Amino acid sequence: MNAHPDGGRSGNALGAGDIPQMNWDQTGPEMKMVRDALFRHVGKPVRRKEDHRLLTGKGRFTDDFLLEGQTYAAIVRSEHPHARIISISADAALAAPGVLEVLTGADMVQDGIGPLAHNPLPSTKFDMKLCAPGGGIPFVGEHHALAIDKVRHVGEAVAVVVAETPGQAADAAELVEVEYEALPHVVDSAQAAAQGAPVIWDEVPGNVFVESSFGDWDATERAFATAAHTVEADFHVSRVTAVTIEPRAAVAQYDPETGRYELFAGSGGAVKHKGELARCFGIDANRIRVHSYDVGGNFGARNRVYPEFALVMWAARRTGRPVKFTATRSEAFLTDYQGRDLRTKVALALDADGKFLAMRADNLSNVGAFCVSLSPLSKGAGLITGSYDIPVAALRARAVFTNTMCTQAYRSSGRPEVTYAIERLVELAARKLGVDPLELRRKNLVHPEQMPYRNAVGQYYDSGEYEQNMDRALELFDWDGFAARKDEASQRGKLLGRGFANYVESSIGSPKERAEIEVFDDGRIEVVIGTQPSGQGHETSFAQVVADMLQVPVERVFIIIGDTDVVSVGGGSHSGRSMRHAGTVMAMASAELLALARGHAAEMLETAADELAYADGVFHQRGTNRSVSLQDLAARLADPLRVVTDNEMHTPVFPNGAAICEVEIDPNTFHVAITRYVSVDDVGRCINPMIVHGQTHGGIAQGVGQAMWELCAIDHDSGQPIAGSFMDYGMPRTDNMPFFISEIAEVISPTNPLGVKAGGEGGTTPALATVTLAVLDALAGMGVEDIAMPLTPQAVWQAVQDAANTQAKK
Amino acid sequence: MYQTTYHKGQSLDQVRKLHAELPEPSYISGGFTLIPAMKNRLAAPENLIDLRALPELRGITRDGDRLRIGAASCHAEVAGSPEVAQSIPALALLADSIGDMQVRHMGTIGGSVANNDPAADYPAAVLALGATIITDQREIAAHDFFTGMYATDLAEGEIILRIDFPVPRSAGYAKLRNPASKYAIAASFVARGSDGSVRVAVTGAGEDGVFRWFDAEQALADRFETASVEALQPDPGMMLSDLHGSAEYRAALVKVMTARAVDAQGSVDIC
Repeated sequence: MNAHPDGGRSGNALGAGDIPQMNWDQTGPEMKMVRDALFRHVGKPVRRKEDHRLLTGKGRFTDDFLLEGQTYAAIVRSEHPHARIISISADAALAAPGVLEVLTGADMVQDGIGPLAHNPLPSTKFDMKLCAPGGGIPFVGEHHALAIDKVRHVGEAVAVVVAETPGQAADAAELVEVEYEALPHVVDSAQAAAQGAPVIWDEVPGNVFVESSFGDWDATERAFATAAHTVEADFHVSRVTAVTIEPRAAVAQYDPETGRYELFAGSGGAVKHKGELARCFGIDANRIRVHSYDVGGNFGARNRVYPEFALVMWAARRTGRPVKFTATRSEAFLTDYQGRDLRTKVALALDADGKFLAMRADNLSNVGAFCVSLSPLSKGAGLITGSYDIPVAALRARAVFTNTMCTQAYRSSGRPEVTYAIERLVELAARKLGVDPLELRRKNLVHPEQMPYRNAVGQYYDSGEYEQNMDRALELFDWDGFAARKDEASQRGKLLGRGFANYVESSIGSPKERAEIEVFDDGRIEVVIGTQPSGQGHETSFAQVVADMLQVPVERVFIIIGDTDVVSVGGGSHSGRSMRHAGTVMAMASAELLALARGHAAEMLETAADELAYADGVFHQRGTNRSVSLQDLAARLADPLRVVTDNEMHTPVFPNGAAICEVEIDPNTFHVAITRYVSVDDVGRCINPMIVHGQTHGGIAQGVGQAMWELCAIDHDSGQPIAGSFMDYGMPRTDNMPFFISEIAEVISPTNPLGVKAGGEGGTTPALATVTLAVLDALAGMGVEDIAMPLTPQAVWQAVQDAANTQAKK
Repeated sequence: MYQTTYHKGQSLDQVRKLHAELPEPSYISGGFTLIPAMKNRLAAPENLIDLRALPELRGITRDGDRLRIGAASCHAEVAGSPEVAQSIPALALLADSIGDMQVRHMGTIGGSVANNDPAADYPAAVLALGATIITDQREIAAHDFFTGMYATDLAEGEIILRIDFPVPRSAGYAKLRNPASKYAIAASFVARGSDGSVRVAVTGAGEDGVFRWFDAEQALADRFETASVEALQPDPGMMLSDLHGSAEYRAALVKVMTARAVDAQGSVDIC
C-alpha cells in the first residue's frame, strides 16, 4: 500500500527551477478530507495524552533502560584546546578494579570504525547552498568518536574506559595517562579567520572552510553608492548551549549471533541516527536497531549523533557486555553540541523617504573544531532581509573552524541571529533618519498581496500578514500606555524600556516522512511515524489530526515512535518540520486508509463503494440500515487494515510574527527585570493551541535566556570554557520570567494540506532583538548605543560606564 | 565521586572518636559545598561524618541579649524561627534569601560559616553582628574567625556547636544576586549595636572573602544615614573580579548595597 505521490501532485513536485510550488493540489483525496473535516479535535486544546505517563514516572528515558549485565563507560577527555597526542598509556587503568576495557583512537582505527557521518551541508531543494572558498564541496573535518592524532577542543574524547560500575569507570579514567604536545589555539571566529591564526586542520590553512555569496552584488553596490542614507553595524550573536534537563545518554548491546547492535539513545530522530551510525561502522543499516522514546529536551542539541553513541556500541561488541554512558552535567556543559556564535556585519541603504533600497551582510559562523552542521549559517543566509521588502541584497556567508566545541542547529537555527541583525539595523536607521522605528518598519514590510514573496536572496515566503501581526502585538502590549508606565517606573527610580521586533523564519527540514496507520479489532488505531518529540506533544497533536481525518475519538489514536525496527522511515524532529510533515503524510495516509477500508466495506456489504457514506468511523450503505465500522472491518478482515504512505515535500514555509519586550532597569545595580512580553505568532493552522502556546512560552524563555544570562564563556588565553556549571551559566527561571502574553495568528499556508507552518521557535526568533532593544531603549538617556549579550548587570554597568567615559572625552 | 563511607553522627564524643580514628575523615553538615566538590572529584574524603543530628548542635534560643543558634540549624529553621524573627529580623530574612527551597532545608548555618564561601550570606551577618562562634574547644570572636576566602580560624577537627549573636539595636541586609548561581555578587550587612556602634560587613565582593568596611562604619557611626555611605569610595583593589562582576563594578555595588542595608534596617533588600 505504498503511495508515491511524486507524479502529478503539485505540492511535492520536484521539477526544474528554484521556484517552490506554493499551492498544494486542491483536488487530492486528503484535501477533500481536510475540507470535509469537522475539526472536532484539530484547533482544540486537547489535554496532552503523554502527560500522565511522564508525570507518574513512567517515561522511558535513556538512563531508565537497564540491560542485563550492563557495564559503564567513562570518557577520558582532553584538557587542551589544541594539542598533539604523543602517547596514551592505559596500563594503570586496565589494572584498576572492575575495569574491562580501555579503548583509544588507535584501537578504533584498527577496528575499522570511521568518523561520525554528520552530513553537515543543508541539501534539501530550497536550502541555501554553501560551498568551499573558491567553490566546490567544503572540507568539514573528520569527527572521530575518539581523537586519533590530535585534539582540537577542550573536552574532546580521547579514550573510553569500560568497567563494572560507573564509579570504577570514572576512577580508572583518571589513571589513563595521555601525553600531549600543546599547540597554539584559537577560539574566536574573527581571530581564527584572520591571517596567521593557528591552523586547526592542515587541509584548511586559513580555517575558513565555507565561503559563499548570495544575492546581487553589483546592484547592491549601486544602490549603496547612490542611497540617501546608509547605516551599518557589527554584531556577535553569542554562543549558548541547550541545557537539556536529561543529560545525553546511550546504552548499547551487541548480539554476536546476528551481528546486530541495539542502541538506546534519546535523540531528535532514531531513523537518522541508525543510518549515520551504520555509515560510521561501515555496516548495513539493518544491523543497527535504535530506540529513542522519551527525550528530556532536545532544542537541536540532540539531533546529531554523539561520539559516545558509537563508543558504547563499539565497546559492547568488544566486551561482549552491554555498555552505558550517561553524561554528567559538567560533560553536558563541556561537550553537548552548542548553538549560535555568529559574527555578522550588516549594512542597510535607504532612500530619502526611508524606503529600504539594499542590504549587505557578511556572516561568519563559528562551527567549532569539527563541522557538525551548517544549518545555522544556511538558514540565516536565506532570511537576512527579515520581514522587509528590500529589493536587492548581497551576502557573504563563511564558516570557520576554531578550538571550541562544535556548534549545531540550536532552537530556531540561524534565525534569531539574522533577526537580531536586521531589527537592530532598522532601529539604527530610524535613529539616523530621526523617524519612528515602527513607522519605518511599516513602510518597508512585505505585504500580503506580495505573497508568495521572493526575497532578495531567493527565498519564497509562502504567506503571512506581517503588518497585522505588528498591530496586534502593539495592542496586546499596550504600546501607547508605555509613557505612563515609564513615568510610574521613574517615580520608583527605575528606567523602563521597550523593544519591538518583527520576524520571519523558515521551516524546511528533511523532506521525507512516512506514516503507517493500522486499525485493530479493539478499535485502537496506531500511527507509526518517524518524527521524535522531546516535549512537543506529538502523541496528542498527531492523534488529533488522525482522529479528525478518520472521524474517530482522539482517545483511540496512538502514536508509535522511536524504535527503528518499527519505524522504518522518518526525518526526525528539527527545523519545525514535524507537524507539517507528519500532518501531511498522516492526512494522506488517512485518505488512503479510508479508500482501502471503503473497498473492503463495499465487499462486505455487497454493494458498490460509492453507495457507502462514511461518518464517525462507520461506513453506511445509503438508504439502508446496513453499516460496518473500521473496527468491524479490522476484526473481520484476514489481512491487517493497514496503510503505509510516503511523502516527500520540499516547499518550505515561513512562520512569522512580532514580539515586544519591556524591561525595568535599576540604575544603581543595573539589574534588568523583564516586566512585560508579548508575542504574536503566525504558525499556520494550529492543531492544539494549548500546546502551541506552551511551546511559544518555552521558546520565548530560551531566547530571553540567551539575551539576558546564558553564555558559553571561554577564556581566550587558555582556551578553557569558564561557564561549566549552573554556578556560572545563567538560566531563565520561573523567578526571572514574566507571564507571557502570546497570541496565535493562523494564516493558512498554501504549501501543505493542513496549512501548517510551525510553532514554538517563533518565541525564540525575535527574543534576542526585543530584549536587547528594550535594554538599549531604557539606557538611551545614558548615551548607551550598543551592548553585547548577555545583558547581565555587569554588562549593563559596563555599557553605562563606557558611554559616560566616551561622553566625558567628547 | 570517589568511594566514600557515610557515618551518621549520634553524639559529640562519638563523632570526635570517628574523626580521630578513621582515615581521611571529613565532617559534613548540609553538604552544599562539600557534596558538589566531591561530585566534581575535587574533594575525596574517605569517611563522611554527619553532624546534623548531634543534640549539642541543635536548637535556637533567646537568652537575655543573646540569640543562640545551633550550628546544625538549617536555613529554613532560622528563617522560620520566631526567636530569630523577633530578635534580629534581618537575620531571618537573610536565611530566607539563601539559594532555593531545597538548599534552605539542607544547608546549615554552621556549615556555611565553617566553609566561609566568599559569596555566602551568613558570614556577613556573623561579622557585622559581632557574633561569637562556640566550638567544642573554645569561643572565637567573629572578627578573628574569618581569615580569608574559604579560610577560618577553626583547627582541624574542631566543630562549631552554635553561634551566639548579641541582639543589636537594629540590622539590615542588602544583596544583589548573581543571576546564575544566585549567590551574592555583592551584599552588605549593616548592624547598629545597643551601644550605638555600627558594623558593616560585606560578602560576595571581597577578594579575600567577607570583610568589614571600616570607612562606612565610621561614617555611619557619625551619622546613620545613606548619605554617609554615598560620600565614600570603596577600593576596587580589594575586590573580586570574575565573569559576573569586575572589581570596579563590585566596588560600586558595595556602596549601593551598604546604603540599601542602612535603609533596610529591621529588614532586607534583596534583588
